[in-house]
Amino acid sequence: MPEHGAHRELKEEVKDRFLDKLSPSMVRSKLFWASVERLSRSRLNRPQWKADRVSLAHFLRNTRDAYLKRAPVVWTNLLVPSELVIGLGCIPFYPEMAAAAVAAAGLAPRFIDRAIEIGFSSDGCSYHRCLLGCAIEGFLPEPDLLISLNYPCDSAPLSFGYAAGLFNAEQVIIDIPMPGRPSSRALLAAQLEEVAMKMAGLSGLKEEEMMRGLAESIELSNQALGYLCKVEELRKRDDCMLDGKDAMGNISVLSGCLGSQAGAEFYRLLLHELEERGSVGEDSKRLMWMHLKPWYSQAIFDVLDRHGVRVVCEEYTHSCWEAMDAGDPFNSLAAKVGNHFLVGPLERRASHLVRLADNYRVDGAIHYNHWGCRQSCGGAVHIKRELRRRGIPTLLLDGDCVDHREYQEGQISTRLEAFLESLN
Amino acid sequence: MTPENKISWFCTYTPLEILDAAGWHPVRHFGDPDLLESADEMLHPAICPYARACLSQELRQEGPHHAFFVNSCDAMRRLYDVWKEEFQQDFVYLMDLPRNEGVWGRKLLAEEFRHLIGVLEDHSGVKITAQLIQAAGMAREEARLAYLESAKGLKGRARLEAAMRFQGGTEQPEPSSRKGRPVVLTGNLLNPTGIITSLEQAGAMVVWMDLCNGDRSFASSTYVEGDDLARLLDAMAARYLEKHPCARMQDKGRHYQLLVDRVRSEGAQGVIYASLKFCDSYLYDFPLLEERLKQEGIPLLRLESDYGDGHVGQLLTRVEAFIEMI
Repeated sequence: MPEHGAHRELKEEVKDRFLDKLSPSMVRSKLFWASVERLSRSRLNRPQWKADRVSLAHFLRNTRDAYLKRAPVVWTNLLVPSELVIGLGCIPFYPEMAAAAVAAAGLAPRFIDRAIEIGFSSDGCSYHRCLLGCAIEGFLPEPDLLISLNYPCDSAPLSFGYAAGLFNAEQVIIDIPMPGRPSSRALLAAQLEEVAMKMAGLSGLKEEEMMRGLAESIELSNQALGYLCKVEELRKRDDCMLDGKDAMGNISVLSGCLGSQAGAEFYRLLLHELEERGSVGEDSKRLMWMHLKPWYSQAIFDVLDRHGVRVVCEEYTHSCWEAMDAGDPFNSLAAKVGNHFLVGPLERRASHLVRLADNYRVDGAIHYNHWGCRQSCGGAVHIKRELRRRGIPTLLLDGDCVDHREYQEGQISTRLEAFLESLN
Repeated sequence: MTPENKISWFCTYTPLEILDAAGWHPVRHFGDPDLLESADEMLHPAICPYARACLSQELRQEGPHHAFFVNSCDAMRRLYDVWKEEFQQDFVYLMDLPRNEGVWGRKLLAEEFRHLIGVLEDHSGVKITAQLIQAAGMAREEARLAYLESAKGLKGRARLEAAMRFQGGTEQPEPSSRKGRPVVLTGNLLNPTGIITSLEQAGAMVVWMDLCNGDRSFASSTYVEGDDLARLLDAMAARYLEKHPCARMQDKGRHYQLLVDRVRSEGAQGVIYASLKFCDSYLYDFPLLEERLKQEGIPLLRLESDYGDGHVGQLLTRVEAFIEMI
């Protein structure tokens, strides 16, 4: 289905009224955030799913609080568990997600070019060039601490290193050990505990309060996981209404909301609505989407819609951990993070994708090769081979998730059409 | 050395003394820069050209293809993945490397050494003792000192070739050019027939190469002593993390200070930053280093290499202008 009319209208309204006129001082004013929140609650904002209102409200509130410095701000990359930051009374801010939002608003080129001007090569990941450009121009909330894990990619520890210097803030890099080593979990848990103490120090929490906060956050994360697992069961059905083009955005919830009330509420509402809504009613082809999508364009999904093909599962939006023990937060979080499929050799990622493809009975798969993403593109051929061994045709599409100038619409469309025809 | 005990290595953080102690003969892999495009079918073209050059060359060679990888970057990890898949009969190993040089980094690396020893013992049946590692470490230290001695007076391409020969390459050094403005070269890894040759033509005399395949491999000692294996490995881990670091490590301040010290001690008049395309560690490093060298008043020129370096002629004018400027 083409982009929803009201949604497009809202985007244009927001762009005209706010985005083109944004300045660093505006994003730090209470008036600005009051207007944004009013707009998000207005009739113009009609999200596809009720749950999306919950996540939007959560992110708007967090981002506002980060700019207004209502609590210590901690920059984190994608795999840093939000439970840890939220549980310790800090505001997690995910600059990679901010880059996706900037791209969706059509503002990325300005910031990407700013990063290039000061010497960041155009061969690097555009998420990170964009976030660095935003940071240099004063558009991101100042961090009190930056935490980056050494996975999924090299870019976060490196770009956060630059940002740490820019804001004169401390950067902590947590080294996730190689999976399968006897001491991996203990070493990771110890590093998580150390960084937790730093955050507790920033928030002024005593040890007892810290452990209580973490226990609460882990309980909420477990609730979210419970609902998410049920959502996944529903999504395996032929008649499930949730399309991957919408579900892909839930990566922000999975990475940034777990440990909050909003995270649990999001998946509870999503489950409820999936149970309520009717069937798709068509015998469509089923696709798996690997890596992320271009955030600035729905063109690929319009082509899929025209061919009656649906994305039924996505690489990054599914559960891949067990429920955690709230009484043992650091070991539990270490198990969650350390066992992530993106940690270690590619065979772990391949196994995850093969499992998804089997569980969701996909007819084909698309790997979106985001320019500059070595960890993902670097493994794409291997993944394609693994899927082909199981009879799953796979298309590797070169593009860029953030910089629309690198998106070759004609070429992508031609290759996509040919692939979809071959599925039939 | 026999083909059976030859093992390729790729990163200066490879614990060569452990491989030596296990009876392997480690040889640095440099790949073939002229073949790298033939790896495109397995590794995306936007992956480090060094990684692709190594894979291309190996795919054309008879085995065995034993290889030791360090998890130093995304490209190396992905090269390991392809290698492991392609050469399933061979010994292909991936060792983790922390970014932190602090206490957790040291613990993690020491654990990696312990795990490696277990795997090597299972593979070869050789018991790896502290004494064997220490003896191998001593031989490595002697080789390092021998390189530094033999490299005295060697500049530019001849120096790089000497460094590569000591790491297991076969190139013989040619007489050095002793003309030109002294500069320090920093970056990741360069082809000895590429950019470095154009630097000499343009009037630069490279007196120190802070490169993975240059002097950086020999800049620091990793030799430790001790009869207790556990303590020896702890000490080794600390020494490895104290080495002259590359851009992927967290402590940028130490990295830059070592570079500035080197510029001063070698009497260099500028720094040439030459890095391979698609190497994120160096792509993100440049603006920070540029700022630091500016503060120190050290002129800096940035060049980019695709490892094959067919374009070096175009760089001459830029290098000449830089040399004139300094």
